[in-house]
Amino acid sequence: MIKHGDEALVAYLDGELDESECERVAAWLAADPAARDRMAALAQVTEWVRGAYADILDEPVPERLIAAARGAASSDRAATQDAEIVVLRPRAAGAPMPLRRWGIGIAAAAALFGLLLGGGGTYLGLRLLGPGPAGAEQQVAAQANDIWLDNAAGYYKLTVSADDMLIDVPAANDANAALQKISQRLPQQVRAPDLKPWGLTFRGARLVVAEGRPAAELVYVTDNKAIGPLSLVIGATKLADISPTIDHRDGVNLLYWRHHGRAYALVGRADVGYLWGIANDIAWQLDAI
Amino acid sequence: MSSHWNEAQAPSDAARRADPTNGEFADRLIAMLPRLRRFARGLAGTATEADDLVQAACERALTRRHQFQEGTRFDSWLFRIVQTIWIDQLRARRVRKEDAEVGDEHLGSDAPVRRIEARLGLAEVRRAIERLSPDQRTVLMLVTVEGLSYREAAAVVGVPVGTVMSRLARARIALQQSLAAGAARRSTTDDQAR
Repeated sequence: MIKHGDEALVAYLDGELDESECERVAAWLAADPAARDRMAALAQVTEWVRGAYADILDEPVPERLIAAARGAASSDRAATQDAEIVVLRPRAAGAPMPLRRWGIGIAAAAALFGLLLGGGGTYLGLRLLGPGPAGAEQQVAAQANDIWLDNAAGYYKLTVSADDMLIDVPAANDANAALQKISQRLPQQVRAPDLKPWGLTFRGARLVVAEGRPAAELVYVTDNKAIGPLSLVIGATKLADISPTIDHRDGVNLLYWRHHGRAYALVGRADVGYLWGIANDIAWQLDAI
Repeated sequence: MSSHWNEAQAPSDAARRADPTNGEFADRLIAMLPRLRRFARGLAGTATEADDLVQAACERALTRRHQFQEGTRFDSWLFRIVQTIWIDQLRARRVRKEDAEVGDEHLGSDAPVRRIEARLGLAEVRRAIERLSPDQRTVLMLVTVEGLSYREAAAVVGVPVGTVMSRLARARIALQQSLAAGAARRSTTDDQAR
């Protein structure tokens, strides 16, 4: 039994009263102007609340959420999307392996960080001093980049929090076979860089979505919590090339760059000094520099 | 980290992927994403937090899909997952006393959204909702925004119908008072400016 009062008015508004209770509240409202005013105020609040969240249904759903909803089952569907094919450029025969590829140890990363940060700082400085933001095209590109980074950070967090549940192709003992499998579902061949010198072991790969096309998230683990786990997202992109750039999203560090139609993001909670060193190594190995 | 990436979990994952009904389940989940985002936005203070919440809920729904009973409401089941994760996060935050840090971090990332909301006159309503207790916020979103009945909302939250009713009433009264006070403040400020 509902007594007269705000609870009755709210339930009346929500259509939650049975017939007899409804009649009683209606009679009360007819007889009491103060109750009518109260009812009008509560009805107004109800409309405001609905209106405050109405536009969210029209927002585009972030790709990372669609991927999360698909989970591991996303592979087959994503692979059937109309995807731009980008072929990984093979390393030029005889191209010298950079000394830092093998020579660098984790202890040296801090020194390297200082060196590379100088380069990165110069790049960022040039960006700031360069021509100002132009028209809609640049804004769209910036927005796309923003979404891409959000997704890369989201994928990382999802993968780490889900343990192995979301790994589509575990590396097991044969990393190359794992990559072969996942590459069959991608519009491009993907290779996993060897990050053992950093103490990082290739754990497996996931199929994710970036810029609306299938992309690969390569997952590396280590017992060294200062470095790993890390993920490397590799996807096709229509955006212009960009030098390695650091970003930070929601507690996750990202070092991203674009090179010849491919976008790369190294993601993790490691210090950016480590990320610089590892990303540089990756770029050399994948001929993405 | 090695224990975190437990090899023993791989077979169950493979078995899960092999299930042909996974695609259908995922489709239903994807169809619910807009409403899950809206519900989560009402609970969490920012768009970023809300999407993180939905992402975590998707993950949990996939791993616990066997717990969903066909014939019951899929949306209610998912709302319950979102709400449970959110309550867990709130508790964890209380323990870590991170509220202030998280708020500051997200204010920056959501600045453009907040500007737009302010222009549309929605920001004040959302802020007022954020000031409600978590319990009130949850039932308000479930009933007023998502359109669940009191009985369905009670099942999601795990409380009696009468509790839903009283929380709803208190939430709307608090909102009405809060928004009326805001309007009065604006009116006074406008008068002084003239």
